Amino acid sequence: MDRFDEMMKERAKNEPFPLPEGYAGRVFAACASLEEKEPRHSRRWAGWAAAVLALFITVPNVSPTAAAAMAEVPVLGAIVRVVTFRNYTYDDGQHSADVTVPELAGSGAALEVSDQVRAYTDRLIARFEETCEKELGEEGYLGLDVSSTVVTDSDTWFTLRVDAVETRASGYEFSRFYHIDKATDRVVTLRDLFREDADYVTVLSDEVRRQMEERMAENVEVSYFPEEFTAIDPAQNFYFDADGELVLVFDEYTIAPGSMGMPEFTIPADVYETLLKK
Amino acid sequence: MTQAVLDKEAFSAQVIACQETMFRTARAILRSDEDAEDAVQEAICTAFAHRDSLREAEKFKPWILRILANKCYDVCRKRRSTVDLDAAGELPAPETDHVQRLTLWQAVLSLHDDLRAPVALFYYDGLSIREISRVLGISEAAVKTRLSRGRARLRQLLDEK
Repeated sequence: MDRFDEMMKERAKNEPFPLPEGYAGRVFAACASLEEKEPRHSRRWAGWAAAVLALFITVPNVSPTAAAAMAEVPVLGAIVRVVTFRNYTYDDGQHSADVTVPELAGSGAALEVSDQVRAYTDRLIARFEETCEKELGEEGYLGLDVSSTVVTDSDTWFTLRVDAVETRASGYEFSRFYHIDKATDRVVTLRDLFREDADYVTVLSDEVRRQMEERMAENVEVSYFPEEFTAIDPAQNFYFDADGELVLVFDEYTIAPGSMGMPEFTIPADVYETLLKK
Repeated sequence: MTQAVLDKEAFSAQVIACQETMFRTARAILRSDEDAEDAVQEAICTAFAHRDSLREAEKFKPWILRILANKCYDVCRKRRSTVDLDAAGELPAPETDHVQRLTLWQAVLSLHDDLRAPVALFYYDGLSIREISRVLGISEAAVKTRLSRGRARLRQLLDEK
């Protein structure tokens, strides 16, 4: 610790701190009003179950085609269908989990995405169970909620978004996007959009960093970590918005304070179009 | 090793012992005394409801500060769409005459949003880099970077060498 730090700590100790008038009394009153409850020990495992009806799948920004697919109505010409939902619930009165994800069918790529979603959610659940049992045991508090949204379901493209929130005292939000190019029946990640020799990671990263700085300059309430952001993941989460523009999505806390939620950056096509596969 | 769950009396004593740190941390993240107090109140209720997740009583302070920081982030998240431009980012340092210098807290409050909480926890409460990282939910590298930026700015504001 250098001399400046020592001086600052000394000042912090010696200068009276301006607490609001009556603050201590309000803290005391808050403590006095706390109510003790009996701890609950009942435990319920529902485990995985295939459910025909999903309770809370929401479909914002989605075409009628997708809505029909979510309602399990076969869609003319579609090769990706939501055939059912897998639901996992756990509640012991203290820890709780509610995971509902769709199962897809209709094409090879749909089945592949279905397997990927299943493997991903199985990993989340295994982590949840492990934390409940080993790290926190009976004395912890942990929540896991996973839901999904069909972002796009056009004649040529399908995107499923799986949102997860892990909660202890507060939540941590993160998402995964799964894309199917219906024309080729292939599962697509970000790297598949670009030529093999294209340095799309650098190009997109530079644009993200530029937008971070631009947004922070325009609005002082906005805050990112440009100095800590090195590059996007080669398989960074993304989707195409209603205007067909590429949107990169970052998990909470990865490039910004938690107050910023999950940051998104819309990348203008002229930034990357020369790098796209023909 | 696990310990008995704190009862209300013991919990309240711990809260009262770190009430100043709680307010300071909340105020460093949020923009008004009222919001900071609200966050403290909510953190007290949440912490009490989940006090059985505190496994080591001596870690009470960083544990409740972590809960408090998350409450503050929730407030920021809810208010993201209603930005008060007059009270955001790095605030101008308060006007003082040449004789009366800034207090440390006035200088801290004039730092950029991201710098205030790490600086306050480091100088006022003596938390380590690692503890600050856990309380604020950011990497240790980020804490070091922000402390470095905060230190440089404080040197300017307080004219300390």
